[in-house]
Amino acid sequence: MSFRLKLMLPLLAVFTASVGYPLLYAFYLSLTNYKITARYNTRLVGLKQYIATLQDPNYWSALQVTGTFVLLAVFIEFWLGLFIALALQKQTRIRNFTRSFLLTPMFVTPIAIGLMFRFLLNQQLGVIPTFMAKFGLSYDFFGPGKALYSIVLIDVWQWTPFMVLLLLAGLEGLSRSPFEAAKVDGASAFFTFRKITLPLLVPVISVAVLIRALDAMKVFEYVFAITRGGPAIQTMTIQYYTYQTGIQFYRLGLASAMSYLLLIIVMVIVVILFRRIESTRKNP
Amino acid sequence: MTTLNSTRLKPTWTLAGNSLLILMALSVFLPFFWLSLGSFKTGAQLNNPALLLFKPTLENWKEVLRSGVLESAYRSATVGLVTVSLSVVIGSMGAYAISRYKTGGSSTRFGILAAQVLPPAVLVFPFLEVSYKFRLNDTLFAVIISHLSFVLPVITWFLIGFFDAAPKEVEEQALVDGLSRFQAFRKVVIPQVAPGIGAAAVFGFVLSWNDLFYALILAPGNSATLPVKIASFNTFRGVELGAMCAAILVAVIPVLIVSFFIQKRLVRGISGGAVKY
Amino acid sequence: MRKLNKVAKLAAISAAVAVVLAGCSSSSEETATDTGAAAGAASGTVRVLMEGVPDTDIVSGLLADFNAEYPDVKVEIETASYDQMRDKYVASFTAAEPTYDLAILDNPWVGDFAKAGFVQPLDDLIAASDGYDYADFTAPLRAIGESDGKVYGVPFYNYALGLIYRSDLVTAEPASLDELAATAKSLTTADRAGIAMQPQKGYKAFEEWGNYLFAAGGSLYTDGKVKLTTPEAKKALETYIAMYKSSAPKDSLNWGFDDALRSVSSDKSVMMVSYNWMLPTLNNPDGDSGALAGKFKLGTMPGGKQVLGSWHWAIPTNSNASDAAWAFVSWISSKAGEAKRVTAGGAPTRTSVFSDAAATAKDPAYFATIAKILSNAEPLCQGANCDEMINAVGTELNAAFAGEKSVDDALAAAEEQANKIQAE
Repeated sequence: MSFRLKLMLPLLAVFTASVGYPLLYAFYLSLTNYKITARYNTRLVGLKQYIATLQDPNYWSALQVTGTFVLLAVFIEFWLGLFIALALQKQTRIRNFTRSFLLTPMFVTPIAIGLMFRFLLNQQLGVIPTFMAKFGLSYDFFGPGKALYSIVLIDVWQWTPFMVLLLLAGLEGLSRSPFEAAKVDGASAFFTFRKITLPLLVPVISVAVLIRALDAMKVFEYVFAITRGGPAIQTMTIQYYTYQTGIQFYRLGLASAMSYLLLIIVMVIVVILFRRIESTRKNP
Repeated sequence: MTTLNSTRLKPTWTLAGNSLLILMALSVFLPFFWLSLGSFKTGAQLNNPALLLFKPTLENWKEVLRSGVLESAYRSATVGLVTVSLSVVIGSMGAYAISRYKTGGSSTRFGILAAQVLPPAVLVFPFLEVSYKFRLNDTLFAVIISHLSFVLPVITWFLIGFFDAAPKEVEEQALVDGLSRFQAFRKVVIPQVAPGIGAAAVFGFVLSWNDLFYALILAPGNSATLPVKIASFNTFRGVELGAMCAAILVAVIPVLIVSFFIQKRLVRGISGGAVKY
Repeated sequence: MRKLNKVAKLAAISAAVAVVLAGCSSSSEETATDTGAAAGAASGTVRVLMEGVPDTDIVSGLLADFNAEYPDVKVEIETASYDQMRDKYVASFTAAEPTYDLAILDNPWVGDFAKAGFVQPLDDLIAASDGYDYADFTAPLRAIGESDGKVYGVPFYNYALGLIYRSDLVTAEPASLDELAATAKSLTTADRAGIAMQPQKGYKAFEEWGNYLFAAGGSLYTDGKVKLTTPEAKKALETYIAMYKSSAPKDSLNWGFDDALRSVSSDKSVMMVSYNWMLPTLNNPDGDSGALAGKFKLGTMPGGKQVLGSWHWAIPTNSNASDAAWAFVSWISSKAGEAKRVTAGGAPTRTSVFSDAAATAKDPAYFATIAKILSNAEPLCQGANCDEMINAVGTELNAAFAGEKSVDDALAAAEEQANKIQAE
């Protein structure tokens, strides 16, 4: 056995066990009528679960809610994160403390963050509404048409630090020479940022945005802790909907089909994005 | 003239940058601050969120310690450490093979990242079914296996970048000096990427420590991890707010301390090459 | 090289810690499985998962009395929050080595768990227990614990709803839904709402609105099918929405049980529809209502009919200690056990307990009201897939509360989904 294969073998084995096998099993489940409370009655039903999913308006609504959430959250996190990273890079005093402090939210388990904001934004007990009321302001954070944006804000609070971390690492890893050249040429700070910093950062940015977007798609805890998908189904994300179907309503077969369809949709989007990135890298 | 141009703008930029940092620091600090206050309030005092001066009670903290939060934190740490240790060992070997020998070309890297795409909801049901079959449901073993499914790809993927960035000359020299390939990998290559491995390990640990989804479904009972335990303070029949505040702080305080010590290495480790695709 | 050492050390330490921890956790599990299988003689350890509510504390308090009669049965109560109970139970029911030997079931679970074979029929055990008098449990409570003609759960405590109000502000109990709306509106001031409502999506919305439906003269099931496209349902939903707009606390569309309770106990609202056993909690001078304690009263819903919920004792099919579990259940839910439990403040389930002067001595008027409530109450759901049905209807109702759907559309959609879900 070659050295290379020996090195790869453990990875392949664990990968097969923890990713490959469940993936195949999920596919099998998605073709059955499996229900936790009716396991004695399990049989193959072909594509029935897929058809049911495609015909389920709540599924499409959940996809739309999740898509809106991901786009909004990642957009805000990226720009906010970029400016914070730039500010941190330029910062001279109490650097270490500021950095570690600003990074803390991403290290806290999201369920704790969700419960914390449920408490802070609560109409009766919340500091924020109470404080706003002192100024005669009133805003129902989890009301109709607003709850999803509040969930986005919570995500921004927790995950902007992740963007900061990656972008800051990217900024510190950039070579100095183009910046020194720009300084000699008398370029303005804004010009340097637009024409040098941003283009050099593109690889880092694309990785950071991609990882964050994939992670944001899995949003579950905030919904679980605060809205349970409500009002109506305005914050029913795909992850929560699948959890509800598979675990709360026992329908594992149907939930597996829902997940598989999601996987296909996401893979298509990722492949398209990868092609884009590859082509811009080849022809800058 | 040229230096003037860039220095003239500088104070404004610095001011704007520092104001942004102060604002952000406040927005991070205040929620934690209110949480700390809440953890010392009685039920009646919690009804008044603006209350700053009050006679503190230790009841919430006592109740949280009684409820087994510390044991859950222990279990979460166990799961995180085991998952990360396995992932680092297995992942570094695999990542090295992928980086040095271009195993499978660029599709390998893509495949590994694609594993990160998998919605947990797809994988969790098979895990649940298999754990029912092998009677492993409600054990940490089931949780660790499930955590490997997302920690291992991320760590491997990060490490590929580090190995790519590490110079090859040193290990070539080591081979000339008579070390076996595996010795060269262990004794020469690994130390070069050690900061990166550290950063990747921290990352993997955070992913595992934060997970609610898998742990909630695979081990909702006696093997509850910290996120599952914290979630249990939230119920539609009533939220025990004071105790919940204290429980959240139990989850927050250790990571606050740890993040203070690792932040520098983390930034340096990642800028060593992880953020490439 | 120094760095390598550090990393290696760290890895070694973490691996060592992991091994030690794994050792600890497995050794603590061993103690639990020791349950003498001696049939007939009641002995062994009975592990049960219960919700962290007042009724659970009352049962804990009676364990010493139980052990005086059954010294060889050890009952271990683990408490959890409601949200996690069902998942924990399902995990235990499907495992080879169960975590729990005795279970308490919420009423929406009974049908599904019975059909799945998770819990045992209790008919033979009931028949073999002299003087148990199963028929003494109030009829609607018995119905909830039965499935396909067999008894799968015996009543533990009821959580029928009722109208809780401030007796210093509400002079006469409203006799009709319109009167309730008018009372709530007239009591609403700038800093106090007339009624704290619980329109939260899903279970809560359905549970609360069900009482409005009954108050409007409606019914959930007609000829075994969910029927919501009725004039009564429409009237109930329209009144509910109007009351939410005029008399409920501002921005309370996602409020649940705890939000409403907090609002009432802190003098921000006058009334709420809530569980009958919340009254002693509200009137407890050491509780959260402070100076308001003693001013709360319980009444029936206008029209007299309300939603009934209840918890039931059940024995898992894979229980390690079925006999010991039944020994405990038949003790705590016997006439004598019920009297002890109710005297200690537990919510009643047996008809006979209402005529027990000692048990009801604390507040005879309160018990008279509960007797009235239990005599005219209907469960939230009957049959299969209750959790799913409740959630579907509760989501449609919440959409109507939020103004996203019209009253007619929401009711039609709710009816259609409910019947589809329950027919499976």
